Amino acid sequence: MKRDSNLLLLCILFVVLLGLGGVVSDGLFLSSFNLQSMATQVPEIGLLAIGVMLVMCTGNGGIDLSGIANANLSGVASGIFALSFFDAYQQPLLFTATFAVGCMAVGLFGGLLNGLIISRFSITPILCTLGTQMLFTGVAVVLSNGRSVTIGTPDYLSAIGNGFVLGVPISFLLFVLTGLILGFFLKFTRYGVRLMLMGANPKAALYSGFQSARIITTTYAISGLLAGFAGLIIAARNINVKWDYGSSYLLVAILIVVMAGVRPEGGYGRVVNVVLSAIVLQLLSSLLSFIGLSNFVRDLAWGVLLLCFLAVARFDLLNMIVASLPLKRTLTLPSDHQMRVFMENKNNED
Amino acid sequence: MKTKHLFLKKKIIATIVASVLGVASQGAFASGETITTVVKISGIPWFDRMETGVDLYAEKHPEINISQVGPSAADSAQQLQIIQNLIARGTDALAIVPMDPSILEGVLKRAMDRGVIVVTHEADNQVNTMANIEAFDNAEYGTALNERLAQCMGGEGKWSTFVGSLGSRTHMQWVGAGEENAAKYSGMELVDANNESFDDANGTYETAKEILRKHPDIKGFQTSAGNDVLGVGRAIEEAGLKGKVCLVGTGLPNPSAAYLDSGAITAIGFWDPQKAGMAMNEVARIFLDGGELTDGMSLGVEGYENVSVRPGPGGGKLVVGNGMVIVDKDTYKARLF
Repeated sequence: MKRDSNLLLLCILFVVLLGLGGVVSDGLFLSSFNLQSMATQVPEIGLLAIGVMLVMCTGNGGIDLSGIANANLSGVASGIFALSFFDAYQQPLLFTATFAVGCMAVGLFGGLLNGLIISRFSITPILCTLGTQMLFTGVAVVLSNGRSVTIGTPDYLSAIGNGFVLGVPISFLLFVLTGLILGFFLKFTRYGVRLMLMGANPKAALYSGFQSARIITTTYAISGLLAGFAGLIIAARNINVKWDYGSSYLLVAILIVVMAGVRPEGGYGRVVNVVLSAIVLQLLSSLLSFIGLSNFVRDLAWGVLLLCFLAVARFDLLNMIVASLPLKRTLTLPSDHQMRVFMENKNNED
Repeated sequence: MKTKHLFLKKKIIATIVASVLGVASQGAFASGETITTVVKISGIPWFDRMETGVDLYAEKHPEINISQVGPSAADSAQQLQIIQNLIARGTDALAIVPMDPSILEGVLKRAMDRGVIVVTHEADNQVNTMANIEAFDNAEYGTALNERLAQCMGGEGKWSTFVGSLGSRTHMQWVGAGEENAAKYSGMELVDANNESFDDANGTYETAKEILRKHPDIKGFQTSAGNDVLGVGRAIEEAGLKGKVCLVGTGLPNPSAAYLDSGAITAIGFWDPQKAGMAMNEVARIFLDGGELTDGMSLGVEGYENVSVRPGPGGGKLVVGNGMVIVDKDTYKARLF
């Protein structure tokens, strides 16, 4: 089986960044408080990135630009709805449950809308989701009159955003759990397999009788659901939700996905890579912040990182480096392709 | 031979580690207390000017590590992350100009729970802060702008007002106070009040042209958002009404310079972010030393010599200075930024 060079690179970066952070900050970077602080920052952007990855896998230019707008709309709409029925501090459990379900429902609805427009009317995803992004933002502005909506810190909700289990932030656990479930789903269900096959070759999928429209709609709906979940976590962390929160997340989410080695043409992507990639990006930006460098340096570092990952993916650099190492070279059997070339050459010589 | 190599290798590694640690402890992790100023966006003139104040303050207090940081894009989520990283890094005091006060409530509360000193600026509705610093009282500022306008108009004639948007609380306070002040002069007549500019110089230019056509005898404008003076100034200049129509509003010296020189803008009002940055750091230092804020105290910064200290919306204090600056053609060069 081919080595997943992105996964390997991400793991190396993960260890290197943690180690480097520990060294330059006298261990402060590895303090439990900083680790927790970084872990609470990952989920919202990570969930959006998983959504982008899924739709990218559908192929045919699949992308979701409406993620953060959908997340904000979920928080705003569900917040206004839940607040009008329950007092957040008198009935914290009921309020939290209503709010959480509301976020998911709004997110899912937004995703379904994207999916239906793209699959039924064959609209290019980038145009469709650009339109819905503006639509979601607009609806959130109208609902909230452009002001932030105060959700407050009722018991259960604030635990989702700021609580810990065995020292690990709950929001981070939820994020990893979501990643695991989706990873399993993609690998072992018929939907997951067909999604990748369809992304790899839409024409073949058509002739094989795949219900492409249904797969596309489902995928965008899941992406929307993840955005709704991100909206819930944003609200739980920040007390307030607002329509213009995280306007820079859109491009960061795409950056994470590309770093994770997801094929922009569709058909290939691994959730574990996206999760790791989101964590690595967080480590990098926290580290630069720790050293006291400007945020522009962070943008520059992200750009360099992105180009490195593209180069690794394009030229399979990692395998080349491993192959050129003089020591510890393991005996590798020639691949089928190499054997065939070898045999052909041999036959020609004969 | 082999052992020597190993020894050499160890020595090299030790040197690298030592130098990295050296750099780190020289810079970000020096002993002593830290005050970090977090602005809305880095690299724009307003906050570059604020940084000059932070640097000046740092020179005066070499015992404290003082610096300024800010997000590279105007996004409250990015500012939130920077603050979170600063708290994890062990910063003792934060002086923040919130992009969006409501979004920062959660993180600021957690910071204060951890014992971090939090001081804010331009956020008089911030609940979770120990002190919010305002350069001036909004009503007094509006009154002062209008008084300058009335002086130019000779206390009579038609005048109009611009606000960034009707939802902008401070802008409405400024023009509201201006209207009250204008009531003193029986000859001043307000027409087509509260035009929305959306801080867009081109849009303001079009609106101002319409108003000039509709009221050929108009004598004055009072504007609020930073780009309004530019739009209205251009309309006045192109209509050949320089010196005949008065224009007083919020603006910055550098962009307004040409119109001030030509006479299209009568005077601009603003507060100096340099002084605000110094005042924030001074308040943070007072808190770090365990001091308290008292009404009428001096922060040792121009415009903040006699601050009014009131209870804020949360448990913190609202500190109001007298840092308004109103300059015209003759005086703006001393404040150029």
